[in-house]
Amino acid sequence: MAIIERKPSLELAPAGGVTPRAAAGVFARPTSETGWKSWVTTIDHKKIGILYGVSALFFFLVGGVEALLIRLQLAQPNGKILGAHTYNEMFTMHGTTMIFLFVMPMAAAFGNYMVPLQIGARDVAFPRLNAFGFWCFLFGGCFLYLSWFFGGAPDGGWFAYAPNTGSLFSSSHGMDFYALGLQITGIASLTGAINLIVTILNMRAPGMTLMKMPIFTWMVLVVQFLLVFAIPVISVALFLLLFWRQFGARFFDPGSGGDPLLWQHLFWLFGHPEVYVLILPSFGIVSEVLPVFSKKPLFGYPFVVFSGVAIGFMGWGVWAHHMFASGIGPISVAVFSATTMFIAVPTGVKIINWLATMWGGKLQFTTAMHFAIGLVVMFTIGGLSGVTHAISPSDTQQTDTYYIVAHFHYVLFGGAVLGLFAGFFYWWPKVFGRMLDERLGKITFWLMLIGLNLTFGPMHIVGLQGQPRRQYHYATGLGFDMWNVIETIGAFTIASGVGLFVINAIKSRKGPKAALDPWDARSLEWLSSNPPPPHNYDSTPTVHSIDEFFHRKYEEDEAGELKKVATAEELYEKRVIDEHIHMPSPSYWPIVVAFGLPVVAAGLIFSRWFSVVGGLTVLLGLYAWALEPATAPELPDQHHDPEGPASTEVATVG
Amino acid sequence: MADTTVHAPVVHHTSTGLSHTKLAMWLFLGSDCLLFGGLISTYMLYRGRTNGGPSGRDVFDIPFTSISSFVLLMSSLTMVLAVTSSARGDWRSSRVWLMTTALLGATFVGGQVYEFTAFYRGGLGYTTNLFGSSFYTLTGFHGAHVTVGIIMLLSLYVGTMKGDIGPDRAETIEIIGLYWHFVDIVWIVIFTLVYLLPA
Amino acid sequence: MTSGFRARRHAAPTIEPVRSRPRRVAVAGVALLGLVLAGCANKGPESTFRPEGKYAQKIDNLARPWFYIAGVVGLLVFGVVVYIIFKYRARAGDERVPRQLHGNTPLEIMWTAAPAVLLTVMAYFTVTTVISVNKTAKSPMVIEVYGQQWWWEYDYTGPYAGIVTATDLVIPAKTEIQLKISSRDVVHSYWLPRLNGKRDAVPGRTQPMNIEADTPGVYMGQCTEFCGLSHANMRERVIVLSEADFATWAANQLKPAAAPTDAAAVRGAQSFAQRCSSCHQINGSYVDAAGKTVQFAPVDASVSLVSGVAPNLTHLMSRGVFAGGTYDLHVDGDPAKPLNRPDLEAWLRNPSSRKPMAPDERRGMPNLGLTESQIDDLIAYLSTLK
Repeated sequence: MAIIERKPSLELAPAGGVTPRAAAGVFARPTSETGWKSWVTTIDHKKIGILYGVSALFFFLVGGVEALLIRLQLAQPNGKILGAHTYNEMFTMHGTTMIFLFVMPMAAAFGNYMVPLQIGARDVAFPRLNAFGFWCFLFGGCFLYLSWFFGGAPDGGWFAYAPNTGSLFSSSHGMDFYALGLQITGIASLTGAINLIVTILNMRAPGMTLMKMPIFTWMVLVVQFLLVFAIPVISVALFLLLFWRQFGARFFDPGSGGDPLLWQHLFWLFGHPEVYVLILPSFGIVSEVLPVFSKKPLFGYPFVVFSGVAIGFMGWGVWAHHMFASGIGPISVAVFSATTMFIAVPTGVKIINWLATMWGGKLQFTTAMHFAIGLVVMFTIGGLSGVTHAISPSDTQQTDTYYIVAHFHYVLFGGAVLGLFAGFFYWWPKVFGRMLDERLGKITFWLMLIGLNLTFGPMHIVGLQGQPRRQYHYATGLGFDMWNVIETIGAFTIASGVGLFVINAIKSRKGPKAALDPWDARSLEWLSSNPPPPHNYDSTPTVHSIDEFFHRKYEEDEAGELKKVATAEELYEKRVIDEHIHMPSPSYWPIVVAFGLPVVAAGLIFSRWFSVVGGLTVLLGLYAWALEPATAPELPDQHHDPEGPASTEVATVG
Repeated sequence: MADTTVHAPVVHHTSTGLSHTKLAMWLFLGSDCLLFGGLISTYMLYRGRTNGGPSGRDVFDIPFTSISSFVLLMSSLTMVLAVTSSARGDWRSSRVWLMTTALLGATFVGGQVYEFTAFYRGGLGYTTNLFGSSFYTLTGFHGAHVTVGIIMLLSLYVGTMKGDIGPDRAETIEIIGLYWHFVDIVWIVIFTLVYLLPA
Repeated sequence: MTSGFRARRHAAPTIEPVRSRPRRVAVAGVALLGLVLAGCANKGPESTFRPEGKYAQKIDNLARPWFYIAGVVGLLVFGVVVYIIFKYRARAGDERVPRQLHGNTPLEIMWTAAPAVLLTVMAYFTVTTVISVNKTAKSPMVIEVYGQQWWWEYDYTGPYAGIVTATDLVIPAKTEIQLKISSRDVVHSYWLPRLNGKRDAVPGRTQPMNIEADTPGVYMGQCTEFCGLSHANMRERVIVLSEADFATWAANQLKPAAAPTDAAAVRGAQSFAQRCSSCHQINGSYVDAAGKTVQFAPVDASVSLVSGVAPNLTHLMSRGVFAGGTYDLHVDGDPAKPLNRPDLEAWLRNPSSRKPMAPDERRGMPNLGLTESQIDDLIAYLSTLK
């Protein structure tokens, strides 16, 4: 993909008294601000963030139902609920969904919504590319799910080890859908990553140096760099897989000398950085939430930043710890054992700094705080069991057993998901201007916490007792039976917690209106209204410190005691209103181009004609994208002055 | 975006001083390095695995590929000329060099198509052996990159027909230039590893 | 599937690690990780907490301290969190804003260095163990292990060359064994939790794995790399015999299968030759319809199977289980006990209904459409394959 986000052609841009519609003809940009059309054509990072969030939540529920079916099947020995093949499809889709269609896009939702607000920007650097990324994710995910209706879902595991994924061993189109669907969501991640990096590096408010950026933005930045370099690696792997299956290339064909370990290396070279892609955004969220509800700044901000960056770098040197049993030789095993151990150091640094943040604070146990503290403890368990895998001989006893399943669910559910839920409760008022019910929220938290420990705790035990993962049934008499019942009960406990959250979210539509600063927050995004206006800030703020918002509210008195000198409402009233804000108009073309991609993909599976149609859609869409005018016809309520000076940092072309 | 006056320089303040688009292109190229890194690694792993089929030595025509490589390298030179003349504001020669670059690129791609055909006739199909699969995949991806570059160059050429070219466009030319040079550099690596390095 | 052949496990000395270590540390560790339960429930036949032989023991020695250290660290974090929650909770009426402490560099350096030192120590022991576990013994007994969908084959080498078994690996006690693990189709993983960590079976590659068992008995395991439809039904057992018993067993295995004489078995052998021998090898002879004693021809199963191999049945009855360990061949999986006829009959009636396979795609045993009398004859014949 070589999309060049270029500035709109100037000859088509409005000038003087010429209305854009007249100048642009067919390329006029849409104008809807409400209704479904406004969502389809939106290029507002906040609306796109919400779209990401809603879609990701939908896929979370779907992946959750898959998990429940898996747990029902395994609730007793020799389970009969799913057949062997359906079970294989189910766990493949559960893993793929939760990773690619839930945690990643949910992190993208937070990143999209919060990053521009946190750095005082009006939007991301390339708003249309942002919309394109979202539609790629959604269409890629839907394309993957279409496999259920066209001969069967992927059945080779989310890790898709060759040669089991070859057409010889997996004859349905499932793995083709997998290869193509993930390729499309990969485009979403790559464009999103480039967009957010440029946004963060280029569009910070005056005074916001890198070391004054909110910690969440920092973690998002690290994640986007990981994505920029990890996505092409999985792209190569998926291309090889696709060409092997579809065009008869020999890549993973042992009979021709193909090496199955090539797939494993490529997959995990992507897959391990991917682990940090999943967890770091939640680390960022928790690093925002803990200080706010401890009434203290993040302890050791530079160390938390650097440990995040260190994880980002070291994450590239540990991939083969997924392959300790694969036969990479004792030397490689020893080296990767050592590197893997040391990646635990920066992770540990983060945990200790979180504890130090709370230490000496004034803790308010809101729901968000519950989830954040839950993450600290649950992630610690996952991290410690992770070190047992770094001890590679011990890992050969644990890998591909339920012990590993326990480990990464403590990391991904106890870590990533609890962090995302902390984010939901913390930023809900910011995004929707309404409060979530705190009482229901706390019940949700306890259900999820208890549920996750019931589900994943016993998996440590059965794993060490020798229960392998990815098996549709197990024999009785191996010491697995009781624990598996408990795990299933736990899974439904989690599900009830998630269900309660959905009810809470729906209820919040009529919930109490949020105050401007419901949490006495610290970072810049709370300086704007709840929800923020389309242009985020009425005038671009100038930043002086990491906790900019906090320091505008609190000042030291003569005795050196911190005293509240202004409320958020007072700060808001005093804001300067910039008359020259102009936001780019919505666009049809991101969704059109993105829609072309699954059509191209369908052509590779079914009839090549689809590919031709899809390819033309993409190409024409791209030209229309490049040629459409910069703005829609002027709306009366917009403060737009074409002859006026360039307004502050608004750099929202594209 | 507030500035929409034609011909006026669009200068956005950015924290790094680099324009958004240029920074994005650098990031994309960084990402693309890993794409080619993966494909080249695959090729290097499999280059000797001919499984009884033809090997590189059997099919390669080094003099021919050297010439087409030279053509591609020259296109980098003409791209530089296009960029410098656009920076000078000399739009006429800039457009000439853009077209020249596109034509040189097209010559290279044409050479690749010819070469693939010759190899295929020489018994090396895409599915013949691992060498064939990984060779065609690697060079094919590179060819696709060159083709995308040509399309961008031609679009730029057509898009500037009406004459209104501002400094904004000059930067677009520069950015496409970055892409073009990157693709050339990748080819130097591929040419060395695939064609010149003995198996 | 229950198996009294595994009853031996109750008699085997059980290692009770939790009690043998300082109680305080152990209890602390496990409480958090939930490993207390693992400690109490470590009697499972595939438990990694019951190492047997030096290789598994080395792994256990290396890993066990970390479980305790991890437990202590985890409990420490948990304790600090609980302390913070109670000590620093916001109290009603307290309007004071806490001191805005931004950090403390010496502290940061300390808590970066401390885990780094701890992990360096762990890394040292890990590396030395990796090397020692993978070191090949001077003259081990070498057995080739092949994974295929969905069963394991063992090809003995050296003085035992010619012995080929499926699912049940029979080895002498107190002997260094080197397994050479490979695959004939997809990636599998060979794992004997009580004997050593797992090794993947990768097609086109061979991976060594050392095992040694001191105590005769049955050690269970299963395929642990997802290998398709019946991954869950790909088990293995290691039967450790005393050296004398092993010698007897090996001598029997090296004999060809004699032609049956009983009428039903003769008919069964003839059906076998017609219906089964294109995939299943039998090293031996049978009497054909013309009354002539003929050798079973060497099998080239690659025509009918993707993996190219089906289990060699020459000494079928010396095994305890069949169908990749999914069913007991003899009662309780013990070859000394009577034949488990119902499961074997059901298998012959329609294998795919007993174990998911894909015979249409040349993976697994097809339904041969045998009549009941053919099944009776076949079982009569198979029963002679001692």
